[in-house]
Amino acid sequence: MTHRSRGFTRVATSVLLAVIAFIFAFPLFYLISTSLKTKADLFAPVPSLFPPAPTIDPYISVLFTRGFGGLLVNSVVVGLSATVLSICVAFAICYPITRLPASPRLRAFVLSWALSLRFLPPVAVVIPYFAIVRTIGLYNQLPALILVYTIFNLPLAIWMLRGFLDEIPLEIEEAALVDGASRWYAFRTILLPLSRTGILAVVIIVFAFDWAEFLFAFILTATPQAMTFPVGVQGLVTQFEIIWNDMAAGAVIAIVIPLSLMIIARRHVMTGLTFGVIREK
Amino acid sequence: MSGNGVNAAPAHPFAIGARIRTTWMARSRQEQLVYKLLLPVFGTVFVLATIPFILAVIQAVTSDSGGFIGLENFGRALGNPLLYESIKQTGIYAAIALPIEILGGLGIALLVHRTVRSNIIRAAIYIAAMIPIVIPQIAVGVVFRLVYAADYGILNVLLGQTGPHQPLWLSSPPLAMIATASVDIWQWTPFVYLVMFAGLQTVPSESVEAAQVDGATTWTQFRHIELPYLRPLLLLVLFFRIADVIRVFDHVYVLTGGGPGTTTQFLSLYIYRIGFKFSDLGQASALAVLVMVAMTLFYTIVLRFLPADRG
Amino acid sequence: MKLRKWLAMLVPIALVASACSSTPSSGTATKLTIAAVQGVEDAGLKALAPMYKQQKGVEIEIVEAPYDDLYSKLVNAFKANDSTYDLIMMDDPWMPKFGTDGSLSDLGALGITQDPDIAQVVWDVGTWPPPRGPVPPTETSKAKQLLGVTIVGNVEMFMYRNDLTPTGPTSYDDVLANAKAQNKQGSVAGYIIRGKATNPVVADFLPILWSQGGDVFDENWNVVLDNDASKAAIGFLVNDLKPVAQTDPGSTDASDRDKIMANGQGYQSSVWPGEINTAVLDPAVTKVAGKVTFIPIPKGKSGKGVGMMGNWLLGVPKASKNQQAAAEFIKWMLQKDTQMTYAQNQGIPSRTSVLKDASLTAANPYFPVLADALQAPPNWRPRTDQWNAVETIIGTHLNNALTGGETADQAATGAAAEIRTLMKGAGYPTQ
Repeated sequence: MTHRSRGFTRVATSVLLAVIAFIFAFPLFYLISTSLKTKADLFAPVPSLFPPAPTIDPYISVLFTRGFGGLLVNSVVVGLSATVLSICVAFAICYPITRLPASPRLRAFVLSWALSLRFLPPVAVVIPYFAIVRTIGLYNQLPALILVYTIFNLPLAIWMLRGFLDEIPLEIEEAALVDGASRWYAFRTILLPLSRTGILAVVIIVFAFDWAEFLFAFILTATPQAMTFPVGVQGLVTQFEIIWNDMAAGAVIAIVIPLSLMIIARRHVMTGLTFGVIREK
Repeated sequence: MSGNGVNAAPAHPFAIGARIRTTWMARSRQEQLVYKLLLPVFGTVFVLATIPFILAVIQAVTSDSGGFIGLENFGRALGNPLLYESIKQTGIYAAIALPIEILGGLGIALLVHRTVRSNIIRAAIYIAAMIPIVIPQIAVGVVFRLVYAADYGILNVLLGQTGPHQPLWLSSPPLAMIATASVDIWQWTPFVYLVMFAGLQTVPSESVEAAQVDGATTWTQFRHIELPYLRPLLLLVLFFRIADVIRVFDHVYVLTGGGPGTTTQFLSLYIYRIGFKFSDLGQASALAVLVMVAMTLFYTIVLRFLPADRG
Repeated sequence: MKLRKWLAMLVPIALVASACSSTPSSGTATKLTIAAVQGVEDAGLKALAPMYKQQKGVEIEIVEAPYDDLYSKLVNAFKANDSTYDLIMMDDPWMPKFGTDGSLSDLGALGITQDPDIAQVVWDVGTWPPPRGPVPPTETSKAKQLLGVTIVGNVEMFMYRNDLTPTGPTSYDDVLANAKAQNKQGSVAGYIIRGKATNPVVADFLPILWSQGGDVFDENWNVVLDNDASKAAIGFLVNDLKPVAQTDPGSTDASDRDKIMANGQGYQSSVWPGEINTAVLDPAVTKVAGKVTFIPIPKGKSGKGVGMMGNWLLGVPKASKNQQAAAEFIKWMLQKDTQMTYAQNQGIPSRTSVLKDASLTAANPYFPVLADALQAPPNWRPRTDQWNAVETIIGTHLNNALTGGETADQAATGAAAEIRTLMKGAGYPTQ
């Protein structure tokens, strides 16, 4: 390959990437643009790319007038709690199948069971879950959502965490055990610190999925006391009217919080996204 | 390690108890510890996640008044021609969206991996790619309605097609399919990209350099060095994406409502229609159970030919 | 160590959250929770809530959900005998389902009596089993009970641009003739069809069907959607109106229709009172202020113009623990002075005297028309708990026909066949 043609390839790929980036960025740009428009702008016969007179009224409307601020708090509480619970449960499940001599069949069973959780269309389990949650007295309460989200994001958490644990050589822990340390001690002082990156990665990804969930949040809550942000946003599409600008503002707000978390933990998230299956070859 | 008389039955949700009993005595202390640690938590979660599934099965085989009606709901579910229509449409949707998402995500990851060296640009691309995942589904639908709608949609305006013969993205059959699938592509290609890009970072640089010294072309480098590393990831992404195509709902509901006709009435919309519009929860549950069984079968078959795990 | 900090931070949040959210609801009726539909339909209700607190000391909590979601939510709540809601807003076609399932309390027994200032049809639509028209076979032996009271007196009407034609259409022949005359490709649509699949297109089409002499069922639950009059009505929508309609009827919903009308890009359409204030009469966006006249549904081949009811009713779930307090709230809402305040705050009243009150007409020019429409009386959608399914079937076929997937006749026969199968399966004597 000559120097020249390599340079050409580089320019060509840069152009290609720029085009792809533009296509993907456009809806986001238009979302933000819409969130800064007034209702009158949205009724213009020919839509405009940029808001003619940018206004932050839609944001004020969503956060304060409509009272979605409270829903946002619920979302954060549910998202963080469910994420922590998911990680703990996933750890309890992944530890024995990765760090101990579990049979390959047991391992395969646990992993495929986890994946099959994701295959059941939610429509079918919504009503059974509703009935269960009512029976145990958690209807319209945040713990119900925390519980359900924990279960539904286990597939992701288990598959990712198991990958990270696989990558940590068994020998490190075994050395400590030979020296007479208890399993709990070895877990706490060796495995936990070593898998810190992986845990944080799972935390962020699971949180992102919890964050956008709508169906169960809608069915298992009845009042703003327990409703989450996506449930509020859903309400901006009414029978006769779509409140475009408030909807767009809601979407932008919904982006900002998980995004901040992801920016903070960027490197950890990248490692987490390999799902850890790589090193098995 | 497990050559102790366990028959080679595939993993089955309800077989675990029996397997534990028959093999308990034969296991070492360490192996017993596996079960002692696993059982309390896994057992609890297993029960919590399985009860609703069992309730759904019960709902599928009983009438509204509670009597057992056998497989009647399954018969009605399978006897409705609209089911096959919706499976076909879901198939077309998946056939458009999934290859583009997976090949596109992989392709972009390779491009960025090989050409973009700046950490800041990589970070910027990475951050942008996470955004579509966290937007509420309904809002995704609404934004694309503002893009695709006739007259007030920005796309036709930008294309300069605003007259009476403008493309009707939401109500002419092939375009409506493309419009709804494009939303899926927009939302999930970045997710595939993130997974693949991260996967590429773990390919040991020594093997890549060795191959380059041997004069490997870009293609052989990908085919023989990077692809083997990415294959299990590709499978996992494929499973998650297929499972999610069966749940596709909100953006389609906002964009087309399942129309024109039944062109975009995908499986999830169809089950919703049976369950909540027709108030036939028995049949809806039967459908959901059927979907889950079919998916699990599919998954088992694929794994048999393309194992993603050493086990 | 970072991780431990994280965990230390998160766990208390979770615990506090669980503790906060498990505050038990008090047994006394100091608070009533209303499940309401999100949108203009409950704007008036929201305005009244603080007044009730002030006057009676009872707090009104209004929990909103969008149209489709509210329905599935109520179905779930009733199935589980849930006591969260003391009052529920329901669209009148949902009443048969809730009546058949016995989910609602008899308001008559709670002391609500019929008032002649409110049109008879309003009381009839809240009564189950229905006092007229075909009664579902499972319901014939039940005693009549008042299960809901209208709080949004919606009846579908018609609107046209009075600056383009000084007089409006009196018949559907006029509608078509005017549409042809006014349709200017690319600038003004002669007629705006609300044609999005399922519920929207059916709401737009039923007044046409009825006025043209067609129907979905006859008096004995036989499907007549494929008889000549019904076929002609579908043909009228698909073959006559569509060529002079807006660019993309197949994906047009109410909000799109209103936008076209408010922008002066349409000449006429059907319209629900509930959608008028969102665009056409909203001074912030409308470009046709004073140029739109609201009239009853024009006459069709049947010789009548038949509007469609879309009343929102307030009912009391049997599971509510505050039955009497809920009924008292309904009584208070129906008082004339409350209805006046309600009407001044975007509510759509049902009292004839309020609808005809001259002080309200300036802001709500359609009120007197609505009063007449309620007296006409308008049609209601067939009173069967299968209506949601029937509507979905018709709405799918109409949308298919409007987007060229099948002909008007195929839509009629296809939908009719599916409805017959459905109704027979549900135990109706349908032929």
